[in-house]
Amino acid sequence: MLPKFLYHAPETIHEALELLNKYGREAKLLAGGTDLVVDLRERKTRPKAVIDIKRIKELNVLKYEPGRGLVIGATVTYHQILEYEPVRKKYPVLWEAVKTVADEILRMRATLVGNICTASPAADTAPALLVYDAVVETASKNGGRKIPIENFFTGVKKTVLEEGEMVVSVTLPEPPADAKGTYLKAMRVWSEDLALVGVAALVADGGKDVRLAYASVAPTPVRARKAEKVFREDGDIREKIEKAVELAVASVSPISDVRASKEYRLHLVKTFTRNALNRLLGVEAVVVA
Amino acid sequence: MKNFREDLKYVGKPVPRVDSYEKILGVAEYTGDIELPGMLHTKLVLSPYAHAKIKAIHTEKARKASGVVAVAVGDDFPFRVGLYVNDRNVLARKKVRWAGEPVVAVVAETLEQAYEAAELIEVEYEPLQPVLDVRDALKPGAPLVHEELGEYAHSPAFHPIPGTNIASRFTLKKGDVELGFKQSDVILENEFMMPQVSHVPLETHTSIGQYMPDGKIKIWTSAQSPFTVRHILSVSLGVPEHKISVYVPYIGGGFGGKAGINFEPLVVMLSKMAGGRPVKLELTREEQFITAPVRQGLYAKLKTGVKRSGEIMAEKILYVYDAGAYADYGVNVGRAAGYSCTGPYYVPNVETESLTVYTNHPWGTAFRGFGHFEFLWAIERQMDLVARELGMDPVEFRLKNALLPGKTTPTGEVLREDAGRIDECIRAVASRIDWGKKPVAAAGKPRGKGIAALWKAPAMPPNASSAAFIKFNEDGTAELLLGITEIGQGAETALAQIAAEELGLPVEKIKVVPFRHTDVSPYSWQTVASRGLFMDGRAVQMAARDAKNQIFDIASQVLRVSKEDLVLSDERVHVRGRPEVGLELRQLVNGYVYPNGNVVGGPVIGRGFYSAARLTYLDPETGQGYPALKWTFGAHAVEVEVDPDTGMVKVLKLVSAFDIGKAINPAIVLGQAYGGALQSMSLGLLEGYFYDEKGRMLNPNLTDYKIARASDIPEEHEVIIIENPQLDGPFGARGIGELSMLSVETAIANALYDAIGIDLKNLPITAEYIWKHIQAKKEKIPVEAVT
Repeated sequence: MLPKFLYHAPETIHEALELLNKYGREAKLLAGGTDLVVDLRERKTRPKAVIDIKRIKELNVLKYEPGRGLVIGATVTYHQILEYEPVRKKYPVLWEAVKTVADEILRMRATLVGNICTASPAADTAPALLVYDAVVETASKNGGRKIPIENFFTGVKKTVLEEGEMVVSVTLPEPPADAKGTYLKAMRVWSEDLALVGVAALVADGGKDVRLAYASVAPTPVRARKAEKVFREDGDIREKIEKAVELAVASVSPISDVRASKEYRLHLVKTFTRNALNRLLGVEAVVVA
Repeated sequence: MKNFREDLKYVGKPVPRVDSYEKILGVAEYTGDIELPGMLHTKLVLSPYAHAKIKAIHTEKARKASGVVAVAVGDDFPFRVGLYVNDRNVLARKKVRWAGEPVVAVVAETLEQAYEAAELIEVEYEPLQPVLDVRDALKPGAPLVHEELGEYAHSPAFHPIPGTNIASRFTLKKGDVELGFKQSDVILENEFMMPQVSHVPLETHTSIGQYMPDGKIKIWTSAQSPFTVRHILSVSLGVPEHKISVYVPYIGGGFGGKAGINFEPLVVMLSKMAGGRPVKLELTREEQFITAPVRQGLYAKLKTGVKRSGEIMAEKILYVYDAGAYADYGVNVGRAAGYSCTGPYYVPNVETESLTVYTNHPWGTAFRGFGHFEFLWAIERQMDLVARELGMDPVEFRLKNALLPGKTTPTGEVLREDAGRIDECIRAVASRIDWGKKPVAAAGKPRGKGIAALWKAPAMPPNASSAAFIKFNEDGTAELLLGITEIGQGAETALAQIAAEELGLPVEKIKVVPFRHTDVSPYSWQTVASRGLFMDGRAVQMAARDAKNQIFDIASQVLRVSKEDLVLSDERVHVRGRPEVGLELRQLVNGYVYPNGNVVGGPVIGRGFYSAARLTYLDPETGQGYPALKWTFGAHAVEVEVDPDTGMVKVLKLVSAFDIGKAINPAIVLGQAYGGALQSMSLGLLEGYFYDEKGRMLNPNLTDYKIARASDIPEEHEVIIIENPQLDGPFGARGIGELSMLSVETAIANALYDAIGIDLKNLPITAEYIWKHIQAKKEKIPVEAVT
């Protein structure tokens, strides 16, 4: 049973912004609803108005143009992303991450933009967006902004979005020509789960451009810039990987909760970072067990 | 003895389920579908405290809210309910005993209005110290969950200890355990634990009650056992049973959680307050976790004495079941575990104490397996630990101590000659998993093999019974009326096959009436205990034979031969040896009409029953006696692969064998085996109630209470059906319902030792828990103290 609210379904961004202005913080945007409806059920939020943006056609853009990159509109579902061939080819980290979100049924409803606007530390798509240097495009009555994803999250379920501002799309620039990448996710089950730890890794520029980002190990999804820098320098690749692993661990601050302990999460950061880098940098894995 | 009966036409065939189409098409009726004129809706106000005094409840604002018809508090219902121990309040009175206990019920015209009014209720509490661990609950001076335990009425089979938290103490003494230990070369002691878990049925608990102005009571409910609901309500309210009607349509999964009596008394009493309008309560998923009953947790301590040669000489057992806040049904779990305590092994000297203990956790009830999943975890781990201590192969050690026909069970029962064979089950799974052949690690992921066995008998009162009716229609089709409910187990189909076989009538000509209504359905004690196929199967056999006898009565007059010379097959009665001399079934089942209009006989209605044979109450001191209608034996063997980085376990192959006597429907048996194994794995590897320090559940949702899904299924699962017939079972059948979900997780834990040398003693064996053990082993720190 949901609490009562006024339901609006604008058909243009302009109308949506009018409504956002009218209700201010007392309005919630509805795209897939897979976070909002749960929060409503649990009375974690009690908005005066819910603004359903699914009827705004221009928000459903999903388009890749060589050289210009990939644009993902606010109402684009995970299912659409998985089905869109250029994502799999050009943005494998994102494709792999999206593939791990919930299950087929939820992916037909849930949206990527909704995922980052909820700003859960466990957002699976956030590490992928971080390694692709995505830019969040917003709109408001005062004009829009282009916010680098790394500046978008400010805390647990907090973003830089201001009152009256909405995300219109996320743009992922053209990735480096030789980019390879992966998303490794630890779950409690083989089927579907929130990330206990999510690790996005991208390697380009012949192994000099390495990017690492994490979910579920800090108040926000984080990029491990210090660890990345290791690969700009020369030296033994195995040593560099070990150094990067240590720096990655130093750049996260997981908590213990009902899903996993801090110790387990730190271990997973270590081992997943090492496994991802070994694989992407072509280093044979050493059996640790 | 495989060739028990090979002349069978319907029994033993993979007949499609009789309820398939309705369910697939979405037209099958469930309680939630039922809408009655003038029906009202309920929202519960739940306790946020695990243990607290109720100082005041302010309901004035809620009573004035729009649409509110009634607001009830515990003192409105000054009586208790319960199956075996009468310990349960309809709504909390004086104090709350778990976080999630219903304290106030708000009844309104719409569910929205009930929700809005419920938010206006204010309850003042004075927190009390909660009891959150069974071992603490047993300490002298522990806070009491039930101060009034001594006043509660209870069945003579149970032994509450007033002034303590012990809801029931079961003791068993067989042989001389001290002498047994003296005769032993090796003695090994271990402790094991597991938390409470939820049944997680697809359909949450849903009940509608109506207290009619003339004093009659009507109930529509998702209950496994309509007759038990009626009986207990009758006792609690002092209303005779013929004034209570309980209607049960299909049930969306029960797993024991909808057995006994649950929210039915509440909706009935709310209806009385609401002037006799029907009142509905449908739990939300969150309420299903914290307000509906759960499976009890277990703390077990085993001391096993063995000879070097491998014979178990003595076993001293302590089982402590975490009953939570109420134990009205839970006490029987402790009793069942007590009399089956050794697992499927012959032990000459046994001393067992099985306690059902109150805590301030959610209240426990029946759960598929009824205590056996829990204690078999301890027993089957211990079997491996003892075998290792002896340097003996776990399969050989189990076979050496196998409880074979002629040996005595813990209660002193001599295992009957036609009982199932545990040794055949163990040998079958060992052979199919290539036991003894060490698996090779692939891609740095160690592999291992493990085995575990199981047994169970129905846990029920010695006089439990079942009945069945078969009534014929004018066209020769028939209706089968049952008392056992269809909770997904496939009873309707298997019982229809038994009727079809006895009557020579195709299954599709028999309609199994898809609801139970205590006014018209035949009695069946409860839909629990893997008893339906055996007991209701025998009742259906008797009903079919009764109908057949009536048909032959009529036919013998018309055909002018004695009944003994008649044959019924393919919907036709004919004279033995002369198939051309006969009558169509439809000419007989409503009375045979002569051309001149004379009639012989009338509508045929067959009636049958079965009561458990030769069972006794158990001796209150020694636990000796006859509790078991039948024992079903089984075993599982697995091969697993462990990811040492994460602790994730993959079951590469699972082999299960059960000696079920006769597979009435092999397709349904496979369904039970596949589903049961996954449930066992889910409970063992993933599930558990986790609490904060105040006793509030931390994971009351499907985000953090993980259950297995399709991707968690073993990569390969081979099921071996062994058919040593039980001569008094219907066509030799025993029962499979619960057996399939026992011991799979233990076989996995045993395989984990084989794979990576870790010894797990607590459930759930989550990936993180395994990882911790791998780390502990690497760092050579002591492996595990029970936490």
